Amino acid sequence: MTSLSLQHQERGHSQLVKIGLMCVLTALVSLVALGQGSSSQLDVFTTARIVLGLDDATSVQSAIIWELRLPRVLMAIVGGVGLATAGALMQGCLGNPLVSPLTLGVASGAALGAALAIVVGFSITSIGAFAIAGNAFVFSLFVVFIIIQLGRYRSISAESYILVGIAITFIAGAVVSTLQFFATDAQLSQLAHWSFGSLSRPDMAVVLAVGICIVALLPQAMMWSWDLNALAMGGDDFAISTGVNPMRIRRNILVLSALMTSLIIAFTGMIGFVGLAAPHMSRLIIGNDYRKLLPASAVCGAFLMVFADTIGRTLFAPIVIPVGIMLAVIGGPVFMYLLLQSKGFNDE
Amino acid sequence: MSDFLAVHDLSFSWPGRTVLEDLNFEVGPNQLVSVLGVNGAGKTTLLKCINRILSPSSGSIHLLSSDVLGMTIMDVARQVAYVPQSVGTNFPMNVFDVVLLGRRPHLQWFVGDGDRDKVSECLHFLDINDFAFRRYDQLSGGERQRVVLAKALAQEPKLYLLDEPTSDLDLKHQITTMEKIRSVVGDRTAPSSAIIAIHDIDVAARFSDKIMLLHDGKIRAYGPPKEVLTVELIAEVFGVEAEVREDSGSLRITIQHALKNE
Repeated sequence: MTSLSLQHQERGHSQLVKIGLMCVLTALVSLVALGQGSSSQLDVFTTARIVLGLDDATSVQSAIIWELRLPRVLMAIVGGVGLATAGALMQGCLGNPLVSPLTLGVASGAALGAALAIVVGFSITSIGAFAIAGNAFVFSLFVVFIIIQLGRYRSISAESYILVGIAITFIAGAVVSTLQFFATDAQLSQLAHWSFGSLSRPDMAVVLAVGICIVALLPQAMMWSWDLNALAMGGDDFAISTGVNPMRIRRNILVLSALMTSLIIAFTGMIGFVGLAAPHMSRLIIGNDYRKLLPASAVCGAFLMVFADTIGRTLFAPIVIPVGIMLAVIGGPVFMYLLLQSKGFNDE
Repeated sequence: MSDFLAVHDLSFSWPGRTVLEDLNFEVGPNQLVSVLGVNGAGKTTLLKCINRILSPSSGSIHLLSSDVLGMTIMDVARQVAYVPQSVGTNFPMNVFDVVLLGRRPHLQWFVGDGDRDKVSECLHFLDINDFAFRRYDQLSGGERQRVVLAKALAQEPKLYLLDEPTSDLDLKHQITTMEKIRSVVGDRTAPSSAIIAIHDIDVAARFSDKIMLLHDGKIRAYGPPKEVLTVELIAEVFGVEAEVREDSGSLRITIQHALKNE
């Protein structure tokens, strides 16, 4: 191999090490998260021993960890992975750094579904416990359906997808506002609470179901990383000359990321910032090669969610501040600082 | 011998405007063809039609007897490489990774040593190995142009479609880059051909086997430089007075002044 080839290979390895370190960091934060809460505080080592089954924890301790905190922390990880991956996918295939999973209007569809269920009592899914989440999911799928239909137009450009997404957001927002106008105080409060974005709703069964779906979709996302590289690097003409069909691949990627987003948002409510910030933070660390950027974004998203939720649970305990709010409050300034500090990803 | 590239009755129109009209031409193996014409003559459109970025309204394109218009985009990319006038990006990669994208049509997912070595060879060939790991967006226009050309070389295509590949290059690199393209196309062990859209008529005359003069979406003349680049045709197509002379076997063209509109 030539020296340039060796150098390239070594850089690839060092990127993998960075992703590995991010994984370790996320695992540590997750352990801290499992140990911390309003009812009992455990240090990282005790938590680790309980989780690994090495320590005879009291039944209360282990019930708190396994039944209360674990679903929440797992949902934070699943949500972070899914939303950050969806954000990275969408930014790449639309060639636009401003895009987040909320841009396509999937979340607005979900909000409309939730509002209908809460205010009018109308739900497509008649199962009591899932009336709101199920309706939110079905309505966000309706937006996914619109995206698929848009993809049938030969001339649809990246900008058109974004503009249609903004239009959907306005339309759904108008209907939600109308519903709010006629809602009772109790319904208004329930709707506001839904829209905060919280990890307290999903139970273990939901977390596992959503988690399995997200994990099952990740390999497909990885398969597209070359196509994303070509699209994100040079746009449609460049992609075609590299063997990528931009129309088809863009539609497929958007459908997958919209699906991921709806799966999560239906159960957690509005969490948007992680899908914008985690991919950009990962770009600063790893660069723009999607073969590395997708796993890095996923890990970074999980880290941000677990971290923000833990702060939200412990800062004013026993009051729990929803993760959507914490993410924006902590993540926002950090994100702005990072972007202003660096002139892009450090490639030395 | 069947022709390397054969284009028949190729037409392209935007709604309400015909850009290319019934183009018929053939390109042989190891040939460098320069396409000349004024702005809007259809040079870029012709290249984009052959690469399937644009869909021709009618006509056929055959490369080594296979129907290009019937191939998948990936199959086209294995045989045809296109270098646009410029490539801008919101998500820049480093130079090595950009050139590595040229290997995309030939690899599954994992990058092999052979792919890396090919990229490395192309970087050395175009003298851009010194900034192999610099970010694409931190390069000058001319450096970027050579990076995208290196990506096309790494693709190892049969046909190069180059849209003004030297427009941002300094004088020295214009000549050396054209010489390098010439040497790649001239390699008889791996036959390839190039169609180059270009504005510099003198550079075109020096390096091309054939010149195509596009005028109002039609081929006004197509053939060896000495036959096509005459004072009369240059005046007709470009509206300039030119001096054409032969200097030790190669054609030299000096533009004197613009002709007044009649």
